[in-house]
Amino acid sequence: MLLFHKAWAVAGPLPLPLKSSRYQAEPRWFWPRSVYVHVPFCAHHCCYCDFAVVTGADRLADVYLDALEREMALWLAEPIDVETIYIGGGTPSWLSPARLRRLLTIIQQFCSYQRGNVEYTLEANPDDVTEEKLGLLVEFGVNRLSLGVQSFHPATLRFLERHHDPASIAKAIELALKHISNVSLDLIFAVPGQTLTDWHNDLARACQTGAQHLSTYNLTVEPKTALWARVRRGQVCPCDEETERSLYEYTITYLEDHGWEHYEISNFARPGYASRHNQVYWSGEAYLAFGLGAARYVGGTRSSNTRSLRSYLSQLRAGQLPIAESETLTPTERAAETAALQLRRRQGIHRDRFRQQTGFDLDTLLGSALRRHRNRGWLEDDGVTVRLSRQGIFYADLVCADCVASAQSSSR
Amino acid sequence: MTPTERIRNFCIIAHIDHGKSTLADQFLLRTGTISPREFREQVLDDMDIERERGITIQMHPVTIYYSCSRPGTSDAITYELNLIDTPGHADFNYEVSRSLAACEGAILLVDATQGVQAQTVHNAFLAMEAGLVIVPVVNKIDLPIARPEETVLEMEHSLAIDPKEVLFCSAKTGQGVDEVMRALLERIPPPTGTAEAPLRALVFNSHFDTYRGVVVYVRVKEGILRRGQRIRFMRTGREYEVQEVGQFRPAMKPCEALGPGQVGYLTAIIKNIQDVRIGDTVTDAHRPAPEPLPGYKEPKPMVYSGLYPVNNADFEALREALARLSLNDSSFTWQPETSEGLGFGFRCGFLGMLHREIIQERIERESGLELVHTAPNVTYEIVLRNGETIQVKTPQDVPDAGQIAEFREPIVRINFIIPAENIGAIMQLCVEKRGTFIRTEYLSPTRAMLVFEMPLAEVIYDLYDKLKSITRGYGTMDYEFIGYRPADLVKLDILVHGKRVDALSTIVHRSQAERRGRALVKKLRREIARHQFEIAIQAAIGSRVIARETIAPLRKNVTAKCYGGDITRKRKLWARQAEGKKRLKQVGQVEIPQEAFLAVLSEDEEN
Ligand SMILES: Nc1nc2c(ncn2[C@@H]2O[C@H](COP(=O)(O)OP(=O)(O)OP(=O)(O)O)[C@@H](O)[C@H]2O)c(=O)[nH]1
Ligand code: SF4
Ligand SMILES: [Mg+2]
Repeated sequence: MLLFHKAWAVAGPLPLPLKSSRYQAEPRWFWPRSVYVHVPFCAHHCCYCDFAVVTGADRLADVYLDALEREMALWLAEPIDVETIYIGGGTPSWLSPARLRRLLTIIQQFCSYQRGNVEYTLEANPDDVTEEKLGLLVEFGVNRLSLGVQSFHPATLRFLERHHDPASIAKAIELALKHISNVSLDLIFAVPGQTLTDWHNDLARACQTGAQHLSTYNLTVEPKTALWARVRRGQVCPCDEETERSLYEYTITYLEDHGWEHYEISNFARPGYASRHNQVYWSGEAYLAFGLGAARYVGGTRSSNTRSLRSYLSQLRAGQLPIAESETLTPTERAAETAALQLRRRQGIHRDRFRQQTGFDLDTLLGSALRRHRNRGWLEDDGVTVRLSRQGIFYADLVCADCVASAQSSSR
Repeated sequence: MTPTERIRNFCIIAHIDHGKSTLADQFLLRTGTISPREFREQVLDDMDIERERGITIQMHPVTIYYSCSRPGTSDAITYELNLIDTPGHADFNYEVSRSLAACEGAILLVDATQGVQAQTVHNAFLAMEAGLVIVPVVNKIDLPIARPEETVLEMEHSLAIDPKEVLFCSAKTGQGVDEVMRALLERIPPPTGTAEAPLRALVFNSHFDTYRGVVVYVRVKEGILRRGQRIRFMRTGREYEVQEVGQFRPAMKPCEALGPGQVGYLTAIIKNIQDVRIGDTVTDAHRPAPEPLPGYKEPKPMVYSGLYPVNNADFEALREALARLSLNDSSFTWQPETSEGLGFGFRCGFLGMLHREIIQERIERESGLELVHTAPNVTYEIVLRNGETIQVKTPQDVPDAGQIAEFREPIVRINFIIPAENIGAIMQLCVEKRGTFIRTEYLSPTRAMLVFEMPLAEVIYDLYDKLKSITRGYGTMDYEFIGYRPADLVKLDILVHGKRVDALSTIVHRSQAERRGRALVKKLRREIARHQFEIAIQAAIGSRVIARETIAPLRKNVTAKCYGGDITRKRKLWARQAEGKKRLKQVGQVEIPQEAFLAVLSEDEEN
């Protein structure tokens, strides 16, 4: 049943530094064509955020860029051809124009990309959007801006500790769209105190902005965040499941009615504007990543960097990679993970492509789970592709866990 | 063949873990029966499960030869000692009874750090009733916390043992073991019985051997058992030609013949273990004895529970596994049953809760099947209005209330040995559990024995756990079936999502029905995961609902963000969720986990 074309594919991490030219012909799950770069700095640590973030460390920005450059050099023996680049955070836009230029220059040094073809995204805070920075981005070929809007509603923004003024958001988007044609907005729902009307207004305003892409996230109380502590102390009462579900259901209906394509659990795009970079994650394809806490998937191995800024900097200063965890997947683990990830896409899993990518026959691998969830009405199956039904979307994690369970028992 | 005056037959009896198998080790080593090279601790415990759990489950006979000098002279005499190591746990009491019938004496071993315990008393009385000479021995005197004097006092009080007869040893270090061996020779009488009489040999055990067929354990009382002899089992009437005769040394070692007083085995190409009845008498087919020896009562399963494969397709495989296991353990019973909820499975009968646990573990291990087991129940007797009496082994078989003239449950006599300070708490517990107080006896100022009569159902319903928690581990108990008594019993049904789940039904006393019902639905609410619809869990007697809980529907279970950095964490979460999913049984639209079926077994702390 296994169709591996290379035995070493799962043996362990690839030898470093990577010689890109050697692997260019390898399949997309194996060899990356995408790069993520993390910039951890933020003006304020928002109560709900559990990303690798540092605040009040402005003076470390230069040292951080030094470290980042060293990290890329340790990984890459020669520039790598890429199709997508994503600079995320933190708040990359928070960097001063000079440092932003330096960051973009470093990336340009290690990644070769074609302006016409690349999808090059930078995450930005609406307050940071200036003519100067936009000009700089365009100069280096950045052609997609992801704006952390979160909401247009003052009370919701206050709860989330986002301090931009709703009026300035529209202006920022307008300005951004003048320079960069592809703009995405992040929105958050199920915020305590938020009503369905508030959320409806957020969605309606977002649709009017001219943005091409929307990410709508159900607020999640992540462990160890300030929000989590408040919930535990009883100071904040999180939204109940029923409300969350109705807000989410409303989101899908509203946006689909307004011409948006729902292409992943939390993502919507105008036709042709689905994020190519993020689809790499949900396809189970390879990507490189650099920076604090960054996670990558290369040659069948998933690894991630330390989330401590101090050890990130000191290890790189000592010429070592700051890897905290690394795991090479077994063929079954990889196949199960690929299936579970691809189910997050509205397009679901394409049987033939799945077999090509993983070497496993989908029905053999997931047999009983597919059947069970088809019968339950959570999966749709036309014989070619399997995908979550409209009903199944709400139970995506259960379906994914069941798929992993089936794969585990079928491999025993 | 050894002349009877140079044979001594005895077993080692004690409470669980008091050191029987370790003392047997000492005997084997000292007599050179096994070499130090072959030796491992509790060498007679040879089943995997015995070794893993460190307990004896089956009896283990072994023949050893012990040389010692005749008092006052230098001539050495060699004695043949047939010893039987027995299990200490109450579920395997029948193994002790069987062993006793093959012996003239018994070493009663008591752990000097624990003192007399429930099984000490029980087994000592069994041995006395069987007319055996008891050699009382206090063990583990090497331990600093040993309290040998107090232990002797307890033995005197509870068992009327003469303190002057008590010996002291450490089975671990070997201290005192020679004295114990001498006492065996001096105190235990040699067997009686002549070689000339017609053959009578008691069958006291058997096991199945792939090459030899059934191996029959025998104690020759009179006459001679030889290879090639035509024998008859007096109760079944079956006749065979003896293929092999031998002794346990401890491995089976063939010999020509076994004479009066000797212990060993015979094989005769017997294919089916059910063809040999324990307690039967072997005689010579050509010169039969007029009367068989007195036999034993067959042990009867006391506890029943259902075993179902998680995947219905595994039913046949489970049947094969059960059949294989019963080749070597004829004390558990099984027959197919169908449950509306669980599909096809088997109702199995066990001697007790430990026996049940061990059998289930062996089946799962030896067959690799995933099983769901239902909560255990006892056997009931129901007298119908038409005068007929039926045995009910599963709550499903309880007829409509209208047909029942009398509902009877099994009653046991139960002995507790507990610290005196816990008497009040245990009394109260027993009253709650519908026990009838019989008597109290002090073994010492700090320890007492309490005797109650109590429904067996209450005993298997978390009594042991409660005893252990009240006495902080120091209390022990032991029980014995005494008969059936009428009681006001009802069947308590559980409905999940409107459907009666027969495997969750229980039989309870009417006075407790409501409390149990409420506790049970509450517990089930916690065991059953939320589904996408609301699930009602109800407890009902007949059509009357007495308790209800609802499980709120699961409206959503989806992670909002899953980007490059989240994937590893997510995969691990999925894998963990997947692990937890293993033993689910689909009943109607609801998936019920294994734990739920056992929820009936105990009440929660909060109740
Ligand atoms: N210190 C010490 N430990 C002992 C002595 N005798 C037995 N033990 C330990 O007590 C534990 C139980 O011993 P076993 O010989 O398995 O006891 P048992 O009576 O055969 O137990 P069951 O067959 O399960 O009823 C083991 O850990 C022995 O090593 C002794 O004289 N001194
Ligand atoms: S939510 Fe965004 S801006 Fe707020 S701390 Fe996290 S990364 Fe920084
Ligand atoms: Mg033992």
